[in-house]
Amino acid sequence: MASQVRAEPRPKYLSIAQTAFQQAITYRVTTLTNIVLTFIWVFILYFLWKAAFNESAMIQGFTWDDMRTYVVIAFGLNALIGWRISANMMLTIRTGDILRDLTRPLNYCLNQVSVATGAAMVEGILSLGLTMVVGLVFIGIQPPATPLAAVLFLVAVLIGFLTNALIVFSISLLTFWTLNGVGIAWSREAVINILSGTIIPLAMMPGWLRIIADVSPMRGIVSTPLMIYLGKAEGSEALALLALSAAWLVAMWLFANWAWQAAFNRVEIQGG
Amino acid sequence: MTVASARKHLRLYFKLQLMQLRSTVEYAADFWIGIVGAILMQTTGLVFISALFSQIPQVAGWSVWNIVLLYGLAMVPKGLTELFCDGPWTLRAKVNSGEFDRVLVRPISPALQSASAIVSIHGFGQVMLYLGLSRSDAAIAWWTIPYLAVIILCGAVLIGALNFAINLTGFWEPSAQSALPTMLALMIDFAKFPLDIYNGIIRTAVTEVIPYAFISYFPALVLLDRDSDWQWLGWCTPLATAWTVFATSWLWGKALNRYQGVGH
Repeated sequence: MASQVRAEPRPKYLSIAQTAFQQAITYRVTTLTNIVLTFIWVFILYFLWKAAFNESAMIQGFTWDDMRTYVVIAFGLNALIGWRISANMMLTIRTGDILRDLTRPLNYCLNQVSVATGAAMVEGILSLGLTMVVGLVFIGIQPPATPLAAVLFLVAVLIGFLTNALIVFSISLLTFWTLNGVGIAWSREAVINILSGTIIPLAMMPGWLRIIADVSPMRGIVSTPLMIYLGKAEGSEALALLALSAAWLVAMWLFANWAWQAAFNRVEIQGG
Repeated sequence: MTVASARKHLRLYFKLQLMQLRSTVEYAADFWIGIVGAILMQTTGLVFISALFSQIPQVAGWSVWNIVLLYGLAMVPKGLTELFCDGPWTLRAKVNSGEFDRVLVRPISPALQSASAIVSIHGFGQVMLYLGLSRSDAAIAWWTIPYLAVIILCGAVLIGALNFAINLTGFWEPSAQSALPTMLALMIDFAKFPLDIYNGIIRTAVTEVIPYAFISYFPALVLLDRDSDWQWLGWCTPLATAWTVFATSWLWGKALNRYQGVGH
């Protein structure tokens, strides 16, 4: 009997991420236009702040150099989870494809986060790469404040990305109750854009909004990495911010799994 | 077009629009979620404006209420278009799946069938327009109200025509989804802020390529009577609209001739 030599299977979640990675490469034109789309607001904010800094050299501790760096990188970070990733999470529920995922012996939440990670490897590298090129060549953004800040920035970006993926996952579960995914996606995007500090740094928010944004999990997506990058949060302050982000990541993980169980109990497959 | 046929088309359009309304109301909760989403999206811009202007009194000589006026001028016609002419957004899917065959064989103008859709109803823009105008110290003359009416009507027609134009890309680019139309539509956001702040490329893009500036910025120069070389362009909005409609209908003809179906 011929002995069959089987290749050692890859770790399961890694192979899911890899598949999503390959899909994202296939649809690279869509990926690219999605990125260009976010640049509209980068340009609007860039020129508005430019005009604003003509009136005063320093606004809430930000100089013009800080601000344009902030605007460009903030949109790059926010674009790590593109429109398509969140749309796909909703679509699997809407189309009934979720059945296929349910029959697998996997943690569904981790499954979806792996898919998002794989796709974000392409969208993220493209969008961050493009952002950096445009930023460095045309806008003259600043490098990280210190080498240590650069390392902590990357850690913060990773935590922020996973938190964002879990938030998007939890909210896409609402598709079990309603079919209007677009309305939900718009609402989510609006709230994340504000509370994460993408549209405006936390330091410049009006008081009541600042209080919410300071403790919300969304600040870990954009604000915390950028404050570290710019050197506005150093030493113990940076560590405290990272600890808050990490705590929120754990909390979001527990919540997402609980929400998934709750949603699954009332699952109603669309004509599956 | 004779008067009789114009009336027939108008009647058909409202029939189609009524059908859209019925199918929208069928899923009431979904409809409301869509409206909440649309309002929250607009809120993002407002939060930004209020935060920005809490730090500095004005940007390039424009006060916060001047910007609110620009926002309102851009959003009122946009809202009207969402209510009356957002159908072109389904064109790409129809062309891609070949469902457009069905539109072509019906004895009604294909453009008419493609126009109607109800996406959203909200009075957000109207409120901003009112606030912006009343708090900006704009001198209200006898012509202000008729001027506003003409500008808003032209703006709605212009955005409606652009809805068609940007979605016709689907006839040339066969993919099922594209971010290109979304990008071109989103460029209206440029016109929610004074053009003075941008560089030449963006200014050219929103005046000459996709004339969004004629909806908000140029009329705002007239309404606020601002000292600008471009103020006279605020009176050219009807011309810009006519030109856009003309260009779009030419493009529409080209697109229809190009359509080949998918072999049903």
